[in-house]
Amino acid sequence: MNPEQTKNITIAVSVESISKKFGETVVLEDINFEVVEGETLVLLGASGSGKTTILRIIAGLEKPGSGRVILHGKDVTNLPARERGVGVIFQSYALFPKMNVEKNIGYGLRLRKKSKAEIEEITDGLIKLTGLEEHRKKSPSQLSGGQQQRVAIARALAYNPEVLLFDEPFGALDAQIRTRLRREIRALLKEIKVPSIFITHDQEEALELGDRIAVLNEGRLEQIGTPYDVYNKPATEYVATFLGAANLLLGIINDGKFEAEDIFLKIEDDPKVRDGQSVKLVFRPEDVFLRKPENLTQNYQQLTDGFVEEINFVGAFERVVVRLNISTRQPIIVTRPKTETTAFPLTVGQRVKVGLVRFRILPNYTLASERASRMVDTL
Amino acid sequence: MSANLSGVRHTRGFDVIKPLSIAALLLMMLPLVLLPIASIFIFGMSKGLASFWESLTAPDAIFALQLSFVTSFWATVFNVVFGLFAAYVLSKYTFWGRNSIIVMISIPTAIPTAVAGFALLLLWGPYGLLGQYLSADTQIMFTPYAIILANIFVTFPLAFGVIMPVLETMSHSLEEASATMGATRWQTFWHITLPSLRGAIVGGALLTFARSVGEFGSTILVSGNLAGRTQTAPLYIFAKFNEGQVEAANAIAIVLALFSFLIFSVLFFARDWLEAD
Repeated sequence: MNPEQTKNITIAVSVESISKKFGETVVLEDINFEVVEGETLVLLGASGSGKTTILRIIAGLEKPGSGRVILHGKDVTNLPARERGVGVIFQSYALFPKMNVEKNIGYGLRLRKKSKAEIEEITDGLIKLTGLEEHRKKSPSQLSGGQQQRVAIARALAYNPEVLLFDEPFGALDAQIRTRLRREIRALLKEIKVPSIFITHDQEEALELGDRIAVLNEGRLEQIGTPYDVYNKPATEYVATFLGAANLLLGIINDGKFEAEDIFLKIEDDPKVRDGQSVKLVFRPEDVFLRKPENLTQNYQQLTDGFVEEINFVGAFERVVVRLNISTRQPIIVTRPKTETTAFPLTVGQRVKVGLVRFRILPNYTLASERASRMVDTL
Repeated sequence: MSANLSGVRHTRGFDVIKPLSIAALLLMMLPLVLLPIASIFIFGMSKGLASFWESLTAPDAIFALQLSFVTSFWATVFNVVFGLFAAYVLSKYTFWGRNSIIVMISIPTAIPTAVAGFALLLLWGPYGLLGQYLSADTQIMFTPYAIILANIFVTFPLAFGVIMPVLETMSHSLEEASATMGATRWQTFWHITLPSLRGAIVGGALLTFARSVGEFGSTILVSGNLAGRTQTAPLYIFAKFNEGQVEAANAIAIVLALFSFLIFSVLFFARDWLEAD
């Protein structure tokens, strides 16, 4: 088998340099990504980032300005939605109000002129899979949000979709149900192994659901990678700050080290920066330690001193604001787990040492012109 | 002082304003609405059921009722189909002049019915803009077809007006969901859009039909008002009254009044049922 063929078999969805404008506004700019068979990709972005437009372009509900959409090796860019065979789970679920659960699930099959027996068999299987046995004769308005969502998924699965597209599927639900459903859907998707794309603005949801996460910002793909990589190795400041909280510190590279006033940090991973370059030090609140941890196997580097300005109890952990002992008196946010707060209690005004176990060095671009300066930088 | 009084009223649990205002409401409605309707029934039945039945079953009376119902039926069929089509097109597409079309569709209800009838005469009459080209045996005016045309004109926007808002508030994602599941536009319209419009279509049809059955002003101009040939029920009432045959007029009046109660009740109670999911 040649490599080209293997590629066609394993790649379910391929989005190739998709761009889109609404009037003069650029909504999407040169978007490229792939989803492999059985994988779940989460498109994460704030509202207006263009994530819904990507979904609609894949579904065929919107035409791209340029670029191609390829489903299982077939270029579908110019096919209408009904010939693409994708399953869309709309935010509002869009269940057909005049059809009961069974009829909703069988709709795609009836359109495909399947026999009555076949429709019944597939519908039965999906009702069992989604646990809707008691509700099969009910109309959508009699179902809870979670049940409606399961009908929407079953309805899309009925005709063996090329890919499942979820448009903010938990947006209409309250927080508790949201978490439970998320896990249910995650388990279901692992079981049926249908490639899926979720869109969401909720970072927690993205981290939990995605095999990989694609972070979108103002129509551009900032980073795509596993939840671990995107969280721990953010490629841009936007990714670092959008996905979880992050502390930022300006500095320059000197002799292969990060330098800011009397702060010096050895750089161990390879951040592709050169001496004299202005950079940002990015670190997560949970990667800061206010004393040298005992028995720490991780790499620990002393940043500087500081004093505790504020302590907030936020349930599972403690959130501390520390002002660094540098000329800007920059405040940083530190979170400490319960074990640490009991072993080493703090009071406001206390002097502390500030150390890091993990950090990232990013080139210091201002956000808006990040793309442009990145190009200059590679010259 | 007055603040004190109202406080007293409320603590005693008896509000004089409430029964007084309800009584005032009924008192105002009595001479304006309730008594006129009541007098139709009181006069119609004053000479006994047999006499009422005789007036009702007079050949011209039966013909007039039939003509009214048949012409209204066809006007309703046309206006519901047209209203559905217009509402679908205007809610689905936005284009330059869309609002003007909506206004044009709505104009006929604002035009006095006598003017509507006169306008039709000027177009289709023997010397009218188009009518002059019709031969003597294909003339439309002064036939039942003229009555249908007049009914269509005066009830033109009614069905549209009921269907359009329902279609506009219908979630667009239903149609999109249907499309992604493999449906053509026609299949989506037939399986998804139309069932959601059931209540609106029935409501619009009943409204159009009720309004058509009662139409007088335009019909009297275009029909020729020939008893047993082009005389509708409202024209029959008018003609019999002019001839001094109050009983004959009254019998038909009772039928039309009962008919409107019926339609009103259906509109009032059945729409919820039709629109239920």
